[in-house]
Amino acid sequence: MIDQEHSNRQLLEPGYWTDGEFPANVLLGPNTQLKGPHIFRQFRSLVSPALTIGVHCTMDGVHFALGKEARVDIGDYCYFTNAMLLCELELHIGSYVVLGWNATIADTDFHPIAPAERIADAIACSPLGEGRPRPEIVRRPVVIEDDVWIGPNATILKGVRIGAGAFIEAGALVTRDVPPRARVLGNPARVIGEV
Amino acid sequence: MATARTIPDDWYPGAIPRNAVLDETALIETSYSFVPYRSEAPVGLQMGRGSGIYTGTSLHIGRRGRVIVGNYALVTAVQIICDSEIEIGDYALISWNVILMDTYRFAFDPAVRRRELERVPLREPRSITSDVPALPIRIGSNVWIGFDACVLPGVTIGEGAIVGARSIVVEDVEPYTIVAGNPARVIRRLNMEKSHRG
Ligand SMILES: CC(C)(COP(=O)(O)OP(=O)(O)OC[C@H]1O[C@@H](n2cnc3c(N)ncnc32)[C@H](O)[C@@H]1OP(=O)(O)O)[C@@H](O)C(=O)NCCC(=O)NCCS
Ligand SMILES: CC(C)(COP(=O)(O)OP(=O)(O)OC[C@H]1O[C@@H](n2cnc3c(N)ncnc32)[C@H](O)[C@@H]1OP(=O)(O)O)[C@@H](O)C(=O)NCCC(=O)NCCS
Repeated sequence: MIDQEHSNRQLLEPGYWTDGEFPANVLLGPNTQLKGPHIFRQFRSLVSPALTIGVHCTMDGVHFALGKEARVDIGDYCYFTNAMLLCELELHIGSYVVLGWNATIADTDFHPIAPAERIADAIACSPLGEGRPRPEIVRRPVVIEDDVWIGPNATILKGVRIGAGAFIEAGALVTRDVPPRARVLGNPARVIGEV
Repeated sequence: MATARTIPDDWYPGAIPRNAVLDETALIETSYSFVPYRSEAPVGLQMGRGSGIYTGTSLHIGRRGRVIVGNYALVTAVQIICDSEIEIGDYALISWNVILMDTYRFAFDPAVRRRELERVPLREPRSITSDVPALPIRIGSNVWIGFDACVLPGVTIGEGAIVGARSIVVEDVEPYTIVAGNPARVIRRLNMEKSHRG
């Protein structure tokens, strides 16, 4: 049995991107398919590997916006459509995870919270800010465990861990950890039951 | 009257309208943002020093509409629907997919909406011209609006405030507070330090 599975795996095509050659610091497991012409437009990570995806994954129109130091790893048999993965530090996604349309996962807020630092950041980001250093911005890894379902328009913010098998309803905005098998709904999201 | 100005390296063959007044240090990435622009006001768009309007932003500015973008304000891929006035303060950070709308454009009464919808397909370019009230939006300086948020007509957002990602702002926001959720509620208060730079 195991031997047969093993030999089947040997026959699988290597992972591929339907629209071109993917960056050298991306590792795709066998039979993983990435699709969509603009998915790497905001891919800036310089670490190696920056993005690791397991076997048999289907990623259609997923936006991989990875900052210079970002590392993302994704397990096997995941199915993502038109989602935004915004990573400046670390994002860990397990196996059998489903991610819906226009869902967003971000491990940072992208700007500082303190008003004075935000002014400095606005100047640094402006057309006149060329070369000015940006203030320190909080980054906290996001972890999505196995078998999680994340619905359309859902949002997962920095530092969140979503427990195995949890069900994140459409439009939910998650800022706190979600226990395994919990069902969450709303903006801000609240646990409304179990799956 | 000055001739229409174009943007260097613009992928879209459009121009900057004559009634757009841009500081020489302001940046607008593409004239595609002006496709839905209909303003006939003396100044339909004003952009301050070091401000930027980036790709993906659509300026749905009606005949009498006027949008003012302050110094160093950053406008990334925002939908602006304006029939009266929308003011974006200095150093404001407006994230991608935010919607700022000072009008619903359509009347609340279904019968009136129907009449307007029957007229739209007869116009070229197709546009909504129903006379529904527009209520100005004021976004104070140093305000930050998170991605996918929506600001409804008549809202004033006080200086230094933060609107969380994907929030719906239906009422005024006090200065130096963080609001979030749908509808947006105060989640906490910020240090009221006033710092003026630049
Ligand atoms: C608003 C924001 C900056 C606040 O961050 P923070 O101060 O670290 O907030 P916390 O995570 O400590 O949350 C505080 C409370 O507010 C709630 N909350 C935070 N952000 C929220 C949001 N966007 N929508 C709804 N509720 C939110 C949290 O659930 C929490 O409530 P609780 O204590 O009852 O659980 C952040 O949550 C946010 O929206 N980040 C996205 C920023 C963005 O859009 N960046 C785009 C690039 S410009
Ligand atoms: C739904 C809508 C039409 C209601 O407008 P309204 O009748 O003027 O409602 P009010 O502003 O009087 O608000 C009534 C209550 O509903 C809440 N509310 C209003 N709009 C809300 C929204 N979009 N989401 C959540 N709550 C909302 C308000 O907070 C208020 O609650 P409170 O009394 O507990 O504080 C409007 O808010 C809306 O969402 N408009 C968007 C329309 C649109 O997308 N148009 C596209 C362009 S054509």
